[in-house]
Amino acid sequence: MHLAVSLLSAAAEAQPGSGLDFAGLARLVQKAETAGLDMVLVADSAPAAGGDGPNGQMPFEATTLLAALATVTSRIGLVAAASTIAHQPYNLARRFASLDIISHGRIGWHAAMAPNSREAANFSRPEGFSPENFRRRAEEYIGIVQGLWRGWDADALLFDQAGGRFHDPEKMRVLDHKGAYFSVRGPLNVARSPQDAPVLVLSGLPEPDLDIAVRMADVILVDEASVERAKARFSDLKRRIAACGRDAHSARVLMTIALDGTTPPTASADSLEELFRSKSCDGFNILIPPQAGAVDNFSDRVLPELRRRGLFRLDYEGTTLRSHLGLAGGGHQ
Amino acid sequence: MKLGAFLWATGHHIAAWRHPHAHVTAGIDINHYIQLARTAEAAKFDLLFCEDAAGLREANVGIASQTSRSIGFEPISLLSALAVQTSRIGLVSTASTSYNEPYGLARTFLSLDHLSGGRAGWNLVTSASHIEAANFGATGLRPHADRYERAREFAEVVTGLWRDTPGQASGSGHDGQSFSVRDPLDLPPSPQGAPVMVQAGASDVGRDLAARTADVVFTAAQTFEEAKAFYDDLKGRLAAYGREPDDIKIMPGVAPVVAATEAEAQAKYEELQELIPDDVGVALLSSYLSISDLGRYPIDGPLPELPESEGMKSRQALVIEQSRRDNLSIRQLARHFAGARGHWRIVGTPVQIADELQARFEGGAADGFNVMPSYFPGELDAFAALVVPELQRRGLFRTDYEGHTLREHLGLKRPAWT
Repeated sequence: MHLAVSLLSAAAEAQPGSGLDFAGLARLVQKAETAGLDMVLVADSAPAAGGDGPNGQMPFEATTLLAALATVTSRIGLVAAASTIAHQPYNLARRFASLDIISHGRIGWHAAMAPNSREAANFSRPEGFSPENFRRRAEEYIGIVQGLWRGWDADALLFDQAGGRFHDPEKMRVLDHKGAYFSVRGPLNVARSPQDAPVLVLSGLPEPDLDIAVRMADVILVDEASVERAKARFSDLKRRIAACGRDAHSARVLMTIALDGTTPPTASADSLEELFRSKSCDGFNILIPPQAGAVDNFSDRVLPELRRRGLFRLDYEGTTLRSHLGLAGGGHQ
Repeated sequence: MKLGAFLWATGHHIAAWRHPHAHVTAGIDINHYIQLARTAEAAKFDLLFCEDAAGLREANVGIASQTSRSIGFEPISLLSALAVQTSRIGLVSTASTSYNEPYGLARTFLSLDHLSGGRAGWNLVTSASHIEAANFGATGLRPHADRYERAREFAEVVTGLWRDTPGQASGSGHDGQSFSVRDPLDLPPSPQGAPVMVQAGASDVGRDLAARTADVVFTAAQTFEEAKAFYDDLKGRLAAYGREPDDIKIMPGVAPVVAATEAEAQAKYEELQELIPDDVGVALLSSYLSISDLGRYPIDGPLPELPESEGMKSRQALVIEQSRRDNLSIRQLARHFAGARGHWRIVGTPVQIADELQARFEGGAADGFNVMPSYFPGELDAFAALVVPELQRRGLFRTDYEGHTLREHLGLKRPAWT
C-alpha cells in the first residue's frame, strides 16, 4: 500500500488560527518522514482564486517551498502542484529538474488539469481556454516537460578535467518540439534527474483526460468512491495503462480519502484495508482533518495498525520517490 | 562598502572546472552551494547573486561540452533551498522579463522573501540570446527597444503586485501592452516591504529603466574612468524619477585572484589561463560580441569591424573599446575575457586588492562590488579569509550584520507604500 498525505490539510490543524510558517510546515513533513510515508503533496492556489485557493493560508508558492523542505528532509517524496498556465514548459521543466537534484531524487510534479479562467486572467490570457483547447494544450505541455527531462543521457556528464571534456556531446539530446501550442528546442540546462525524471502526478480527471493520464502519469489521484465503483475504475485504469503499451504497474492509482478524526484507529485501518484488498487502488492520498491531534492520531495509531496487518512497509527501502512507489527509473535506488 | 558573492557554476573563469581545486560536480551538488552560502554569510557578505539563462550558453555543442556551463541549478529553487540553510545573507536571482509572466514571477520572489525572512532580490534582465528564444516558441529575438519596453511594463506590474498584496489598499488589475493581470497576489506582504530590485543592463535605455525601478545595479567596468562615468551618469538620472542618489547602490563586478604574495597570485592566474582551449575562448568572445562566429578570422589578427549589436549592446562596446585601446589580437582578447567576461580583474595580495577596491569606493565609482571568484570554493574562501579582514581593518566593511533583511544590509529604504 502506498501512502501520501496532503500537507495543507495536515497543516491546518497544526497551527490553528495562525499563519503557517516554514518551521511548522517542516516539522509536519519531518513527522510524515519519520512515519515512513511515500510522499507529501503541496497544493498551490497560484493565481486560481486571488486568495481563496487551497493555500490561501500559506505564505509560500509550492515549488519554492519544496526546495526548502528538500533540505530539511532526506527520504520522503515531495510533490508540488504547478499549473500549465502559470509557467512556460521550459521554465517549469527546469524548476522541477533542479528540485529533483536538490532533493536527491524525491520530487514529483502535480500537474493541475482543470482549466481555470481566473488563473488565465492573471497570466495575460483574459479570454481563457475552452476545455478542449486546454486539454490538448496540457497534453502537449506535459509531453514537452517529460521530453526535456530526458535531454541528457544518464552517463552524459564526464567531468574529465585533464581531457577537457565536461560532458559527452553525443549524449545531449535536442528536443526540437514543434507543436500546435508550443515550440521548444531544448535541451534543458539542468542535468538529468537522479530518478531519470521527476514523478508526474495527475488528478481531477474527467473521462477524456484519463487518456492523457494512462499514457503519461506515474501517479493518478482519484476521488473516493464506493468499493464497487472504485474497483471497476481501478481495473479499467490498469487495463487502459496496459493498452498504451505500458506495464500496468508503471502508474500508481491513489485514492484521495478524508479520514474522520473521530473514528477509532482500527476502524480507519479497516476501511483502508477493505478498499485496498478489494483491489480498488494502489494506495491512498490522505486528507487529515483540521482538528487537534489528527496528524498524531494517523501516524502514531493508524499507521502501526496498517503495519501490523502487513499492509504498509516497515521502513523506506530506497531513497528516491520512484523507489518508494515501486516505479522504474533512477540509478541510485 | 557593499559586497555580493556572485555564484556561477564551478567559477567565473571559463576554465575553472578544469582547475584541480575546483569542485567539478558543482552543478549537481546542493551541499556545495550550502557550503558556499555559509562561507559568504560568515564573511558578512550582503548577498549571494545567481546569474541565469533559460537555455544553453553556447550553441555549438562541441564548445559547450568543453565548459561546465551547460548544466546547473535553476536559481530560484537553488536560492529557496539556501534560504532555510542560512539566516542573514541576501539572496538575489536573475529572472528574465522576456520569458516569464509578471504574476508568476512576483509570486515566486515574494515566496522566496517569506522563506528567507526578507532577504530576497530579483535581478531584472531582458534576454538577448537566440538559444533562449528557441526554447520559448520565438521565431527570433525581439529588438532591443521592444525587450526594454516589455521589461518596463513587467517591472511596473511586479511592483504593483508586491504593493497590493492582501490586507493592503488594492489598486490591482492591469491591462497593458504586453500583460494583463486581474487579481492581487495571494501571499502576505513582504517582510522587507518588497523584494530588492536589481538590474544589470548598461545601455542608455537600460540605465533609464534602472533609474526608474532599481535598488541595486550590477555593472561591468574595466577602468576607474569607465566605472566613475557610469556611476555619475546613473546617479544623475535618479532626480528625474524623484529619487535620491542613495536610493541606488551601484556594485560593479570584480574578479579577484588573491594570494599571500603577488607572485603567487600571478601564478594562480596563469595556471587558470593555461587551461583555456583556444576554440572555447574565441567562442565565448563571439558571444559577448553578439556575432555568430569569430573563428573564421585569423586568431592572431585584430578584431574585425562589426555591425552594431541587437544583443548585449554595452558589453559589445566594452570589448571593442578594449581591443582598440590595448591593440589586442583575437587570441589575446579571448584569453583576456575568458577570465572574467569583461569584468574588472585584479590579481594580487590582499593589501593590493583592498587598495584597488578602496580607491574605486572612495573615488565615487562604486558603492560596493559583486565579487566573482575565479573558481569555487577556493577563491571565495580566499577572498573571505584574506581580503574581507583587510577591508574590515580599514573600516570599509562591516564586521557583523546590523539588520536582518537585505534592504537593511544595503541601507535601502523600505518602499514608500509600507
